[in-house]
Amino acid sequence: MLIGIDVGGTFTDGVLFDGQAVVTSVKHPTDKQNLKTTLLKVLDDLLTVSTGGGISRIVFSTTLVTNLLATESGDNTALLLLPGPGLPLDTYHLFEHTFFLKGSIDFRGRELEAIDKTEVEKAVGAIKGRGIKKIAVVGKFSNRNSSQEQEVRKIIMKRDPQMEVAIGCETAGQLNFLRRIVTTYYSVMTQSAWEDFAREIEKALAERGIQTAVDVLKADGGTMPLQISRSKPCETVFSGPAASTMGAIALTMNPKNSVVLDIGGTTVDISLLIDGHPLYASKGATIQGHYTHINAFSVRSIPLGGDSPINIDQGNIHVESKRRGAAACFGGDYPTVTDVFNQKYQLGIGQPLKSTKKLTKLIKDTGIDMETLCKAVEDIVFNRIQEAIQKMFTEWENEPAYRVWEVVHGRKFNVQEIIGIGAASKAIVPGLAQRMQIKCRIPEYAAVANALGACVARPTLALKVHIDTQNKVFSIDQDGLSGSISAGRSFQMKDAKELAQHHLMEIAKSRGMEQYAGEAEFYLEEQFNVIRGWETAGKIFDIGVQISPGFIKEYQGVSR
Amino acid sequence: MKPTGLIFFPAFDWAISPTHPEREERLLYTRDQIFEEGIMDLPQIREYKPRMAEKKDIARVHFCVPDVDAQITEAHLVSAGSSLVIADAVMQGEVKNGFALVRPPGHHAMTVAHGNRGFCNINNEAIMVEYLRKKYGLRKIAIVDTDVHHGDGTQEIFWHDPDILFISFHQDGRTLYPGTGFIEELGGPLAHGSTINIPLPPRTTDMGIHYVLDNLVLPILDEFKPELIVNSAGQDNHYSDPLANMCFSAQGYAILNSKLAPDIAVLEGGYSVETALPYVNMGIIMAMAGIDYSNLREPDYSPTRFKESPGNMEYIKKLVATQLANFRQREEVISRNRKEYKRMYTNYKSIFYDTDGIHEEQSTQLRMCEHCAGYRIIESSAQHPRWGLNRVFCLSVPTYGCPECQKEAERLYEDMTSSRSKYNYVYLQDKVKDVYKSMESALSLETVL
Ligand SMILES: [Zn+2]
Ligand SMILES: [Zn+2]
Ligand SMILES: [Zn+2]
Repeated sequence: MLIGIDVGGTFTDGVLFDGQAVVTSVKHPTDKQNLKTTLLKVLDDLLTVSTGGGISRIVFSTTLVTNLLATESGDNTALLLLPGPGLPLDTYHLFEHTFFLKGSIDFRGRELEAIDKTEVEKAVGAIKGRGIKKIAVVGKFSNRNSSQEQEVRKIIMKRDPQMEVAIGCETAGQLNFLRRIVTTYYSVMTQSAWEDFAREIEKALAERGIQTAVDVLKADGGTMPLQISRSKPCETVFSGPAASTMGAIALTMNPKNSVVLDIGGTTVDISLLIDGHPLYASKGATIQGHYTHINAFSVRSIPLGGDSPINIDQGNIHVESKRRGAAACFGGDYPTVTDVFNQKYQLGIGQPLKSTKKLTKLIKDTGIDMETLCKAVEDIVFNRIQEAIQKMFTEWENEPAYRVWEVVHGRKFNVQEIIGIGAASKAIVPGLAQRMQIKCRIPEYAAVANALGACVARPTLALKVHIDTQNKVFSIDQDGLSGSISAGRSFQMKDAKELAQHHLMEIAKSRGMEQYAGEAEFYLEEQFNVIRGWETAGKIFDIGVQISPGFIKEYQGVSR
Repeated sequence: MKPTGLIFFPAFDWAISPTHPEREERLLYTRDQIFEEGIMDLPQIREYKPRMAEKKDIARVHFCVPDVDAQITEAHLVSAGSSLVIADAVMQGEVKNGFALVRPPGHHAMTVAHGNRGFCNINNEAIMVEYLRKKYGLRKIAIVDTDVHHGDGTQEIFWHDPDILFISFHQDGRTLYPGTGFIEELGGPLAHGSTINIPLPPRTTDMGIHYVLDNLVLPILDEFKPELIVNSAGQDNHYSDPLANMCFSAQGYAILNSKLAPDIAVLEGGYSVETALPYVNMGIIMAMAGIDYSNLREPDYSPTRFKESPGNMEYIKKLVATQLANFRQREEVISRNRKEYKRMYTNYKSIFYDTDGIHEEQSTQLRMCEHCAGYRIIESSAQHPRWGLNRVFCLSVPTYGCPECQKEAERLYEDMTSSRSKYNYVYLQDKVKDVYKSMESALSLETVL
C-alpha cells in the first residue's frame, strides 16, 4: 500500500493506493497554524483502512517552506558574499544582514583575489553581535572553484563553532550568482523549521508502526528521502502544483502535448506538458520576487476558480476573485462560477436547483436574463484561462536560444489535449476545450490527482558537470562536488559522459535511489575546443544528465 | 525607465573552422560571465530570442553571387536576424536601446558578396539600417564603428549615401587588416564627408580614444543630427586582443558607450576570448542599461597600466582637427563635385577576400543625380577558387532614390536581360520599390525577392 498526501494552502488531500486502485481518499481543511496536525489527521484517516505495517511508501508534499518564505518567518540569517569585480555590489544586497568580503574567482576557477582572514573574523563578530546564529557564504563562480567558500566556512567555524554555516556551491552550483545567493539564503533560513517538522513526522510515523522510509515531493515533480531533504528544504517549495501536474500525468498515462488545468475553488493552475514532459520554469522557482536555482515546473496561477463569486454591478457582470464561500449548489450563499456552469449545461452538480435559485435572485431587476448572464460569465472565465494559456505558449516559444539549430527549427506549441483536474474542472474544462477545439480528459480521481501524483512520483536527480581538460578539473552543480581528471588531451566526449554518469550513480546511491539510475538521460552535451595561438590547448565540456520526473516502477496506471 | 534589449547569440554550434578565431569558444566565457553575474535577471535587461533574417533583408543590401543561399549559412541569417529583432524592439518602444551580442560578425562584408572577407559574409549593421529605413521610414542614421579594424564593408556599402554618417576609428591601416580607412576616404562625390575615418596609431589607450570621442565623434553627431545611432561594437581594441595592438580597457569601452549612447549596438570583432570579451561585453551591457560599472574590471587591469604617449596625443589632436574640418566642408565639396563631374562618375577598384582567397575587380558608375543620391551600376568579376570566374552586372537604386533614377535603372536591367550579355548574372536592387531581381544569363532564369 502506498500513501500520498498533499498539504495544500486550503485543503489537504490524501490517498491510499494499492498499486492499481485508489482504496480510499481523504480531504481535510488545512490548519495553517499546524500543518503537522493536519497531515497526521489525514494519515490517520487513511490508516483506518490499512495498518501501518502494510504501508510500503509514504510521500507527502507540503507548503511549510513556501509559507515560511512568504511570511519571512524563518531564522535570522546573515550573508557573507564574495562578489569580486562585475555588477555593483548593491545588486547583490537583497537581504538585510549582508556583508561583502574580499576574494574572487573567475569563470575558469582561477583565484583572482585572496580572501582576508581578519575581514572574515570581523564580519563573524558583527553577525554574532546582531544575535544571528546562521550564515550563508556565497561566492561568485564558487561553482567553478569552491576553495574560498570552504576557507571562509573554516574560519567561521574556528572562530565560533556554534555558528551554522552553509556554502553556495553545496546548495546551488549552477551558473548565476544572484540566484545562488537567494537559494542559499532561503535554505539556511528555513532549515531548522524544516528539520523540526521532519523530526516530528518521523516520530509520529514510528508511533504508528510505520517502518518504511518517507519521501517528500520536490518542486521538480520528483521525490527525495525526508532524510536528504533536511539539507535542501527549499526544494520542497511549490511541490503542491508539482503534485497536481504529476497526478495529471499519472491519471492519463502518456499524454503528449497537453495543457494541465488544475481548477480548484479559488485558482486555476496551468502547466504544460511537452512531449509528455512537464515544462520547467526557465529561471527556476520564483520566491518573493527573486529567481532561484530551484528546479520547478512552470505554473501560471490565475485567481479564478469554481468558488469565484458572480456579481452584477450597475449592469456589469463580474467574476470576483475573493472567495465568499462554497458554490450555491453546495450550500453557499452566493452564486459562483460553478453555479453558472451547472445552470448553463445542466451538469447536475450538488443541488442544481440551488444554483438556479441564487442566480435567478442575482439577475432580478437587472434587466439581464439568465442566458446572457451565463454566456457572459462563461466568456470571462474562458477568456481569462485561454489568455493565460496563450501567454505560456508564447513565452515558451520565445525562450532565448543559443544555438543555430534551435533558432532554425523554432518552437511551436501544438496542443493536443487539455487535462482537467481539481474539484471544479468537471464544470469548466469541457466547454473550454470545445471552444479551443481540442479534446479534453477529466480522469477519474481528478479531485485527488495531487495526492496520487505525490504517491507514485519517482525520485529525480539532475546534475550538470563542467569539465576543463586544460586545467584538468571538473565540478558538479550538486553538493559542491569537484575533482581532478588525469587524462589531458585524450579526454573525449565519451569520457565526459562517463564521468557524468558515474557521479550520477554515486549521488543516486547516497540518496537511496540507485534503482532509478538506469533511467538517467543526457540532456546536455556541449564541448568547446580551447584554442590558444591556433593550437588546441584543451577542451571544455558541459554535460547534463538527469533522472527526469516519472513514476515508481510498480505504478502502471490506475486500473480499477 | 524602459529596459535595455539584449540578444545573446553565441552560435555554440557554428565556426568558420575548428581553430579559427570565429569559433564556438568565442563567446563561451562571455556566457559564463553574464550568466554568473545574473545580469539578465535584472529588471534593467530584457532578453530576446533571435530570429532568422529573410533573404529579402539581405538582398536589400547585398548582391550575393550567385545568390543569397550561396553566401550564407543559417548562422548568418540568425546573426543578421538578431539585429533586426533588437531594431524592432527599439523602434516599437519596448526597450530604450538594445545590444545584439551575436556572431558571426559582418562589418567587412561589402555590397557585392563573392565570399567571406575578414570573417564576414553579410553585413549585419547595413542589413539592419536598410530594414529600419524600409520598415520605419528612418532616413538619417549614424554608424560608429568601434572595432579595431576599419569597417571597410560598411564604409563601402554607404559610400554614396549622404544620409548615413559612417565613423570608424581603428588601428592605422598601414599596420593592420584590411589596410584601409585613411583620412582621405571621405565618401563618394555626392556623399562627401559622411564617411569619417580615424586611423589611430598602435598602442592608443582609453585616453586617446576618449579624446577622439569628445572632440570629434560627439560634435559631429551633434551636427549631423541622426535619427538613430548604431555602435558597430568590435572589442578588439582591447589591450589583450591577439589580432591587434591597441590598449583599450573594459572601463574604456563602458565609458565610450555611456557617452555615445547608441540606440543599438551590434557585436563585431574581438578575439581575446578569455581576457577581454567577458568584461567588455559586461561593460557595454551595463553602460547601455545605465548600471554603475565602476566595479567592473579585467583581472589584470590597473588604471595606471597604460599611458598615452605625448607623440600619440599630438598626432591624434591633429587628426581630430583635420577630420572636423573635412566634415564641416562636406556640403561645399558636394556642390563642387556636382559641377565638376559629368553625368556619370566612375571608379575602379580591386578587392581581396582574405578568408576565401578571392580576387575581385570592380567598377562603379554613379549617376550624378540632382534629385537624389543617384543610382549605381556595379560591374564585378571575381575568380573564385571553387566556382571559377563570375562576372556580374548590378544596378542599385537608393532607398530615397528619385523616379528618374529608378526608371533609368529599370530600363537598363531590361536591356541587359533581354539580350545576350557577357555577364553570368544581372541584378536589380530597387530599394524604393523594395524589389530585388536577378537573372541568371545562361538559363534566362529570373528570381524576384
Ligand atoms: Zn572601426
Ligand atoms: Zn575587428
Ligand atoms: Zn536620382
